[in-house]
This record gives sequence, structure tokens and C-alpha cells, in this order.
Amino acid sequence: MKPFDYFSPASLTEACGVLAQSGNDARILAGGTDVLVELRKPSAHSPKSIIDISRILSLKGITETGDSIVIGALTTHDEIYRSQLVARYASLLRSAVATIGSPQIRNRGTIGGNIMNAAACADTVPPLLALNAHITLKSVSGERELALADFFVKPYVTIARKDEVLTGIRFPKLDPGVRSSFVKLGRRNALSISRLSVAVVLRINSANVIEEVRIVPGAAFPSWQRVGEAEELLVGQHPSREAFIKAGKKVSEIMISYSGRRWSTEYKEPVVAVLVRRALELCVSQEKTA
Amino acid sequence: MNTVAISVTINSRRYQLMIKPNVTLLEMLREELGLTGTKCGCEVGECGACTVLLNGRPVNSCLVLAPQVDGQEVVTVEGLAQGKSLDPLQESFLDHDAVHCGFCTPGILMSAKGLLDHSSNPTEVEVRTAISGNLCRCSGYQQIVDAIKDAKQTTDQKEKRRVHADTKT
Repeated sequence: MKPFDYFSPASLTEACGVLAQSGNDARILAGGTDVLVELRKPSAHSPKSIIDISRILSLKGITETGDSIVIGALTTHDEIYRSQLVARYASLLRSAVATIGSPQIRNRGTIGGNIMNAAACADTVPPLLALNAHITLKSVSGERELALADFFVKPYVTIARKDEVLTGIRFPKLDPGVRSSFVKLGRRNALSISRLSVAVVLRINSANVIEEVRIVPGAAFPSWQRVGEAEELLVGQHPSREAFIKAGKKVSEIMISYSGRRWSTEYKEPVVAVLVRRALELCVSQEKTA
Repeated sequence: MNTVAISVTINSRRYQLMIKPNVTLLEMLREELGLTGTKCGCEVGECGACTVLLNGRPVNSCLVLAPQVDGQEVVTVEGLAQGKSLDPLQESFLDHDAVHCGFCTPGILMSAKGLLDHSSNPTEVEVRTAISGNLCRCSGYQQIVDAIKDAKQTTDQKEKRRVHADTKT
């Protein structure tokens, strides 16, 4: 590892101060599961300073405030997995973090790091988008909250400024009775990078009609997005295998309209469609919680 | 580059160290402290050979920067045995021939220890999940899984053996 200056601010205010002074050549370190791998690459541009925020306890933990759940940026995947609040109000996020890396990675890796690293395969992002999550960024010049949907430009690129630190994620609780799911296809179960994933939130009313659906594929688009065209096909319909197959095919069609046909299309085209159908079916097979 | 003063508890012993920040916990354990039981495998968090317990939870020591363990508690494979008496988990590994070449063993022991400390009677699925971040290049997984599942029983048997020996004398 190349040399760097190391800072470990004890508070968020101190962290913002150090970031503001470090200019463009600083890297924020949280759980380190992505950053340390990068730092060790001989070819990589290495930052002049590492700002270790892992000591800032105020950035840890999961709380509920009224209708929302707030997750501190430093909360680990394992802590999210073990949270009763997440299990109750955002079960698709719990399913997603369970698939990340290995137990060792889940004990260190943080939700904030997963978002800020912005890899196309980041497993917390599709569920958070399906939950309509907002994030808070802080710097010496103030704080701003923005929709996660507006945050990503392309893989590994976000609209965060160099002097900003992600402090937390907020999303509305899913109503009891609203179902949600996350499915992922990797090369194996442990330590696999998502080849493709799908997060779904589905609301079916008492007349067994789909009232609302949100479908967010992962690792499929140049940047993450809900697939409104497929969602429209489902709203007002009864949940059925045929309807879910149609929605899956639509997602696949939209994906190709962005990516064009390339070497991986032959594989991804049917797989995305099947994953969408499976995610929807998984929602329907769940017991209603209320 | 600055050096950083840290204070860390490793295997119940307190260390005060001055270290360079571009050193991983793994490098610090092996190179600075001579605790070479922890193995260096892939150095990208894929193989689990470097697994240690950090505040009671298994982590890849290759993905932790040494200054990050300031004020924390680390347990390595050297911390399992109490004096000359092996940990029941280690006894169970011997009983089940769960060690082939041995390179993955320290990491797998620490992943298993992290599991057994929190759930004393794990299911096979829990055991397999707990070691899913550890690769065994000899592919001796079955013996490893059996050893971890039986670790508690090994403790009970030892207890029985001891009681038996006591009544004999």
C-alpha cells in the first residue's frame, strides 16, 4: 500500500472540516471492504489522505421517526440484517444485505459505503430505490437531503461533491400488508457479485387487484431506475403468472433499449425477465403481515 | 506520512503501538507482533484465511487498517487455547481430522468461534453460512462442518471423561 496521511475525526463536524481542507485528494474510509482493495491495487491512483470516519458513533444505528426508518451511514450489513425494524418495515432490504459478500464482509461493510462506492452491482441500492429512499449529505457549508433516485450518474459516479460525507438514509416504512422481495443471481452464493438482481415492492388490495408496484433491477441499466413501463402493465391487474411474465419481458425489452445488443444480451435478456417474475411471485407467496 | 499511536487488546493482552497508517491489521499481527497463526491468502477479502475476531465478530484482517483497531479487542487463533489446553473447537478439529494442509484452519476456527460464541447449538445451515467466507483449498469441508457441529459435544465428552477419571482415582 502506498503511503497516505491518516485522519480519524471523532465527530461529524471534525470530519467535514478535515474533508474541506483536504481538497480533491482525500478518500473517506468506513468499513474498508471496497477501499482497502482499491488501495492495494498497484496501478490505482492513491489518495493523499485517508479520512477514517469509522469512529463517529453518531453515524451508526437504525431508528424510526414517525412514518420513516433512518439508517446511519456507518451501519453494517450485519446490523441491518439483525434489525427488527428493517425486518418489519423493509424486508426486501433485509433479504438484500443477507446476500452481500460473506459474514466477514457483512460485519465490516456499511450501507453508506455501498451507496457511495456506487458499483453497478451494489446490492443495497435496488431495494432502497424501491423504498423511495432519500439520503443526507453533509459538508462544512451545510446539509442537503436528496432522493437516492437523483444521486447516481453512472457506475462509480455520483453527484456528491468531494467535500461531502453521506450521513444517513431515510425511507418511508412499508405499510403492513405491502409485500416486498429481492432476488439476486450470482455465480455462487457466498462472495458473489450480482450479475443481475431485482427488487420489488407490491401492494395488492382486498379485491386482489395490484394497486401499486415498484420494480428496480440491479446491474441491468447504466444507472439504476424503476421500470415504469413494466409497472404500468401490472397496475389494475390481478396478480397472475401471465401478468408477471409480461412484466418481466417488458423489463428485459427496456434494458435492451438502453444497452443495445451486446455479447451478454443473449444471456441477460431471458434472465432478467425470469428474475422479475420470480421476485413478483415471491411477493405473492408471502403471508400478509396484517 | 504520519505514524499513529494505537492501544489495542489482542488475545487479552494490551499493546501500545506506533504504526504507519498504510499497514493492515493482518500485516501488523504477522510482521510487527509475530502472531503468524493468522494466514495471509488473497488480501482482497475473498478467501478468509486472515479471519480474526474484532470485538467478537469475524472480520477479514486484510481489509482492516491497523489504526482502525485503536481501542478495540482482537482475538486471533493464538488466543483460542488456554495455556496448554486447547479450545474444545480445536479438539473437535483434531477428532474429526478436519485439518488437511492447515492453511485455512486458523481462519475457519475464528469464523466458527464467532458462531459458537453467539449460538451454542447451531444447525448445519448456520455452520455452513458461518464459514461461507472461508475457502479450503483441500476441499475438506465435510470434516470441518462436522467438527464445528460437534464442538459442543466435544466439551461435554471431555467433561464426562474428566468426571470418569475423577471417580476412578
